[in-house]
Amino acid sequence: MKKILLNRDFILFSIILIILIAVGFANPLFVTPKSISDVLTDTSILIILALSQMIVILIRAIDLSVASNLALSGMLISLLSTVHPELPVYYFIALSCVIGTILGVLNGISIAILKVPFIVTTLGTLSIYRGLIYFVSDGKQVYSNEFSEDFLALIHVKFLSLSFLFWLAVLVFIVIYILLNHTRFGRNLYSLGGNPDAAKYIGINENKYIIMAYSLSGFFAGLCGYLWVARYSVASTQIAIGFELTVISACVVGGISVMGGVGTVLGCVLGALLIGLIRNALPAVDISQFWQLAISGAIILLAIIINTKTEQRKEKTIMVEN
Amino acid sequence: MKLELKNISKNFHGVKALQNVDFQLQENSIHALLGENGAGKSTLVKILCGVYQPDSGIINLNNKQQSIPDPSASLSLGISAIHQESVMFDELSVTENVFIGNHITKSNGLVDWGLMQDKTNQLLKDLEANIEPNEKIKDLSIAQRHIVQISRSLIHDADIVIMDEPTASLSQKEINELYTIIRNLKKQNKSIIFISHKLDEVIEVCDEFTVLRDGELIKSDSIQNTNKDQLITYMAGREVNQIFPKNNVTIENEIFEVRNLFKKTQFKDINFNLRKKEILGFYGLVGSGRTEIMKSIFGITKLDEGEILFKDQKILIRKPSDAIDQGIVYLSEERQQLGMTGLMSVKDNINMAVMDRNSNFYVMNTLKEIKNSAAMQEKLNIKVSYWSQLTQSLSGGNQQKTVIAKWLSTKPEVLILDEPTKGIDVRSKSAVHEFMGELVEEGMSIMMISSELPEILGMCDRVVVMYKGLIKDILNVKEASSEQIVKLASGES
Repeated sequence: MKKILLNRDFILFSIILIILIAVGFANPLFVTPKSISDVLTDTSILIILALSQMIVILIRAIDLSVASNLALSGMLISLLSTVHPELPVYYFIALSCVIGTILGVLNGISIAILKVPFIVTTLGTLSIYRGLIYFVSDGKQVYSNEFSEDFLALIHVKFLSLSFLFWLAVLVFIVIYILLNHTRFGRNLYSLGGNPDAAKYIGINENKYIIMAYSLSGFFAGLCGYLWVARYSVASTQIAIGFELTVISACVVGGISVMGGVGTVLGCVLGALLIGLIRNALPAVDISQFWQLAISGAIILLAIIINTKTEQRKEKTIMVEN
Repeated sequence: MKLELKNISKNFHGVKALQNVDFQLQENSIHALLGENGAGKSTLVKILCGVYQPDSGIINLNNKQQSIPDPSASLSLGISAIHQESVMFDELSVTENVFIGNHITKSNGLVDWGLMQDKTNQLLKDLEANIEPNEKIKDLSIAQRHIVQISRSLIHDADIVIMDEPTASLSQKEINELYTIIRNLKKQNKSIIFISHKLDEVIEVCDEFTVLRDGELIKSDSIQNTNKDQLITYMAGREVNQIFPKNNVTIENEIFEVRNLFKKTQFKDINFNLRKKEILGFYGLVGSGRTEIMKSIFGITKLDEGEILFKDQKILIRKPSDAIDQGIVYLSEERQQLGMTGLMSVKDNINMAVMDRNSNFYVMNTLKEIKNSAAMQEKLNIKVSYWSQLTQSLSGGNQQKTVIAKWLSTKPEVLILDEPTKGIDVRSKSAVHEFMGELVEEGMSIMMISSELPEILGMCDRVVVMYKGLIKDILNVKEASSEQIVKLASGES
């Protein structure tokens, strides 16, 4: 029982519940099924990106280029859809994923083969990918009326009164859960991040895993490129700007250690949910616009402190207590 | 013949780590690989594990020539190494550590946790180990970790098992259990390469031995044809009594004393004193609380209770600078992490702890710094190639001396050395020992933590023996036997 209570995921879940109850008291409208379903929809892209970021963080790296990757993939398929509105939506989704994957592989090659440190590489591609959007779009936006109906329709499909985005996030959660916990690939990511030197001794090819991790991160960034554009019905140079930091915070809140090798898939999702909840709840409880960003930052920090402090209680013991 | 290495040579940047070394491992045998630190043992092991490639020479396995291009090739040839802790995955479960890199998968490609769990359980039961397969490695004792590593090599179906100092930090009871396991492995037709610094146990467990020194093969024979003294002579290349040049000094009055030191879960009832010009040794297993006590005395961690007396005065140490001001300094075990800044020059490192003395109104006096650094480099014979050389590019021995120089610059009266010769070559080691002798002659008092019994016996006047956070006894080294000290340190008496 004590083990469950001190479990990070459980603590995180409790924090989410407490915030939900507190907000519910301040504004009962916020805890209606409709409103909660909106929060879930709004958080879905964050969940997908946090899960794919987690794969990278597990091997002691970070992918700062996800938001730029998302925006570039999204812009490219938007431009294509203005020229070829007749193409089916699945075509665009697949294309967006392919573009994202290629951009991710480029990150991986730079880090694994060219040995450019991950922070330098992805900081560079963050600007490069963002810059390319200006190049391909001439700095122009693609507006909602320029997309085909088909392109935008899928995102509004509902099942059991929950959105397509939400169900997709659930699907990604299941896939990544299985990938990280029940495949050799996933387990080797944990060992590589937990102890890279030891991983070499057991014959894990580090470069291969770096490239794989970044291509997965790229793949999901590409997928979210479509989702983002379709959801907000706009593609521009500015979409998702700075979103990589939200994604990384979700991972950190979720207990994914930036030292590598530690973290659960469930924790990652809870981290994203907490951040999504705070972003949606603050406007609902009448907090001044000017304060919202600072307060949400403070709550995130507080959540991390509570979460890590509870875990640290287990201390090294040398002495035998008589 | 199970394994035969012929004429193996390996150079690192011009340093000859191995020179034309031959090594033969018989089937069904426990073979001791002996040598001082830096003799080339670990290079040889890394060649067998596929981590290094030999520059020349051939490897025959089961009378067939093989190359071992990478670690996975080594594993698939049936060679498995049990290193010291570093190759475990702390955050992962026992089961996963046993099967690491070798997960069993079901027909659908997913990892079969149930089967792996059962197999691990069975293996641990066969080894008579009381370990839960679900536990995380970080919660296990060092002995239990070794058993997990042994299980790992059994899963890989290795028939050559390399054990690198498996008993280094085990208690006597755990060591005996490990011996039983090793003998059982031999019965199952495995060949074992056993690396250890404890010669008594080598003689007890092994069938054959090979001694390396400075990268060369010195002697290879059956254990029956040798004895401990002979082995030491092979390893050191000189008579034993020359290794520790402790000068004879007259020990004077008490200078430092601690009373009833206590820190929750770490140590309690710690009472000892230190006299001027004395070297007081601290012996115990790794993790027996020695470092923790020193860190508390130096003000890095806080004591729960107890008092510290310096020159008969009660002193209060809240932070390291308090201790340094009093003239007490601590030289940590992890010199690269805690003792020096690798990306700074030798001069800057040496002056790091005395910035206030070398400055006028917060502005550094470079001339003073250069003078101090030059004097220290001269005194300790620190070899630098050029004026601003970065400390990280120095050899381990010179790095160690730089850290010592840094602390000597503070002109301390009590010097605390934590494993001062760990991982440095024989020559630097003896230089450190010689230097300790000189310091004591000049009037300094030294407390030295060491896990090497010969070092304790050779250098110290008295030794504090610790076990699980308690002082078992304080012995006069001249009257103590090594057996007595080892027994106390493993909590047996």
